[in-house]
Amino acid sequence: MDTRRLAHHEFPILGRAYFLGGRASTSVKHVLREAGVEEAVVRRVSVACYEAEMNVVLHARSGYLSLDIYADRVVVGVIDKGPGIEDIELAMTPGWSSASDEARALGFGAGMGLPNIRDQADEMQIESAKGEGVRLILTLYREGEHDG
Amino acid sequence: MTLAKAVEVLKAQAVVPAADQGVPLGGCFAADLMSDVLAFGREGSLLLTGLATDQAIRTAAIKHLVAVVVIEGKRVDSDVVEVAREEGIPVYQTPLSKYEACGLLMSAGLRPYRKGT
Repeated sequence: MDTRRLAHHEFPILGRAYFLGGRASTSVKHVLREAGVEEAVVRRVSVACYEAEMNVVLHARSGYLSLDIYADRVVVGVIDKGPGIEDIELAMTPGWSSASDEARALGFGAGMGLPNIRDQADEMQIESAKGEGVRLILTLYREGEHDG
Repeated sequence: MTLAKAVEVLKAQAVVPAADQGVPLGGCFAADLMSDVLAFGREGSLLLTGLATDQAIRTAAIKHLVAVVVIEGKRVDSDVVEVAREEGIPVYQTPLSKYEACGLLMSAGLRPYRKGT
């Protein structure tokens, strides 16, 4: 199987810059389309990125999104400098949220972010500790059926 | 139902008009919570929302929705209009409440979609 890396991109994300929230994910969508990635994969990556980007905007000081396009998969990293997640299992519970009123005013922060991301991705790795930010790595395969 | 028909039913004004109002709607999703739209919304739907922000437009673009209709006559700021133009998402504004807008669309024949269908 062809597993070559075809492209690498990075997009900065500013914490608390609410009005920019979603811009990195919009860029990801355009880059994936231009690279000829399958439309169904583009959609799943875009949705996962948007939720992950909003998590950074709403909770962290700053962060970045990395996008690696391989012949057989797309790998997204969303890495932030922020308060981190104390209890990842709890944060994965649909409906659980630590978001502020500002987050809710933007239509986010209802506790569906991480569960939504997990549903879109084939593989999800999340590492965090209190005060140390969050490192989220998602893999989405370009072929085969998505069972999410 | 076409977008043009929905616009008529909702007594909506165009903020960013669609290039083609004859496009058929696959359904409608009514929400202020963009996470719900990202999780449950379907391509080809109309989005009815009280959220007149960039995030509503970006959500619609990422989910391939047909258009965004802002309820309760809420003002759509010029920077939101700019994002909508960039992303090619038509935006309308209706004076109706979300409840009434949903009711009128369903009465006019726009059927809801259900999970698993």
